[in-house]
Amino acid sequence: MANKIPSFLLVQSTAGSTKRGTGRVKVPFLERGIDHLAGVIKNGYAQWELSSQNGFFQKIDARVKILFLLLFILIVSLKRELLPEICIWNFVLGLTLFSRLSILRVYKRVLFLGFVFGFLIALPSAFNVITKGEIILLVARLSRPYYFWIYYIPAEIGITREGIYGVAMLSMRVINSLSLSFLVLYTTPFPEIVRALKVMKVPDSFLIIITLCYKYIFIFSKTVEGMYLAKKGRMIREDSNKKAREWIVGRLAFTFKKTQLRCEEVFKAMVGRGFSDTIRLYGFGKMRTADWFSGAFLFSMGLLFLLI
Amino acid sequence: MENIIRMEDVSYSYYDKFAALSEISLEISEGNNFAIIGANGSGKSTLLQIVSGLRYPSKGRFLFREAEVSERSLRDKGFLKSFRESVGYVFQDSDVQLFCPTVLDELLYGPLQLEIGEEEAMSRAFEIMQMLNIEHLKDRPSYMLSGGEKKKVAIGSVLTMNPQVLLLDEPTNGLDPKTQSFLMELILALKEAGKTLIIGTHDLSLVDELQANVAVLSEEHRLVKIGKAEEILSNEDLLLRVNLIHEHVHRHGQAAHKHIHSHYLFHRHGAQNRR
Repeated sequence: MANKIPSFLLVQSTAGSTKRGTGRVKVPFLERGIDHLAGVIKNGYAQWELSSQNGFFQKIDARVKILFLLLFILIVSLKRELLPEICIWNFVLGLTLFSRLSILRVYKRVLFLGFVFGFLIALPSAFNVITKGEIILLVARLSRPYYFWIYYIPAEIGITREGIYGVAMLSMRVINSLSLSFLVLYTTPFPEIVRALKVMKVPDSFLIIITLCYKYIFIFSKTVEGMYLAKKGRMIREDSNKKAREWIVGRLAFTFKKTQLRCEEVFKAMVGRGFSDTIRLYGFGKMRTADWFSGAFLFSMGLLFLLI
Repeated sequence: MENIIRMEDVSYSYYDKFAALSEISLEISEGNNFAIIGANGSGKSTLLQIVSGLRYPSKGRFLFREAEVSERSLRDKGFLKSFRESVGYVFQDSDVQLFCPTVLDELLYGPLQLEIGEEEAMSRAFEIMQMLNIEHLKDRPSYMLSGGEKKKVAIGSVLTMNPQVLLLDEPTNGLDPKTQSFLMELILALKEAGKTLIIGTHDLSLVDELQANVAVLSEEHRLVKIGKAEEILSNEDLLLRVNLIHEHVHRHGQAAHKHIHSHYLFHRHGAQNRR
């Protein structure tokens, strides 16, 4: 082997010293993207970690929690007043606290998603162009009203009391639905959720798809992160955005091929262990008295909110 | 010789939850060969990834040629270039490391990044392919290679950059005996060529053959001992404690006996061990 060693390998690398001072490397968009991806994995682990903590909601049977989620999302959608929505928000906040979840971690996401998918989407409806009513904040004054096709633009454009109320209602509904979903997700390990859905007669094909998707996302994220680290290990200068885009596009096809092969292997492993077309899970044990009491408590709170 | 690598109380944890390294301090001088041994999950790969500047310590400092390697220092173009030119890392999972469309592209990626002329880069790639006996694979995509071929390409892709420090993470894992022996010869040849080799492994025969300095990591992610290969490999208590060897009970006919067992070095049926 010694004779075969290429001569260039016997030459000492020119990088003898750790030179500095020829400018800074910009963190490319790609790197930020990979950081984000790593964050997704991290949060997945964190979810699993938090799910196994010993809080109030973690102790409740997954079936009760799934039914609670469905019931409360229905109630949140049915209510037409702001007061019950605020009461539900407070109730969920209390449950989150009792479950020893990090309020900051949960509500950072809830409020961000609520802002984007609730407030921002509903904001235009606060204007009198869409929602007629009493103007409480004048934004613009035109010389005359305009008629355009089926639309009417009044001379005074502003935010109406009714519009603001509508925006607040929609934002609260989105925030409440998100808080409820995050509460259940953060307190229930993923396999428990799948088992609860199975017991509730959700079709197997749907369960197979979400289970495999969940696993696939983690494997895929790790593969992509590893691939990026390998590139970083051999990357000397920053890539231009164009080059970074080319790399991503090239790697998409490559990763697709790799994951396709992995999928085939996983499927063969499943078939090899007797998989036909149904998920067979070992059944849930009987619900404990504490689960019945918790279920009854949550159900009565739901009824209370329905009556407010 | 001057220290090329120095770690001062380096700790690392994943997701701020799972400790991977705990207060590791070590020094490696240029041209030295170093093996980091420990059971699965002891933190070998994490340590190598810190040395390769792919992860940064949660606590403590890592210095390369007495210059601190951090996220901040690697944003300096000059430092990044000299660091990446000097340190090459071969991943444990070759699948992850190979991201170019073909084997030839893979071997050319590093030299082209180093702004080495195309002709020189091509010549390096072909010389490496010749050395590793993979010339016939040059146009093949990596997902159509066997495990041993992937490992060879992964090593080749780093060697074309001619790094002074070569980090190898579990290089012999999952390879057939012929490829393992080929790899062993290659590692010894690189050692002769004056490279600084740092190998993370639990393959004790590799450590024995390389006669490297050895750092032993415990399952608590701590550095428990540094010493010469001979000294470490003869310390059965230490190897038992860090789970690199184990007590094994088996039967010969009617008689059962117990002895210390490792698949590579220790399989002694001493009379004192008989039960």
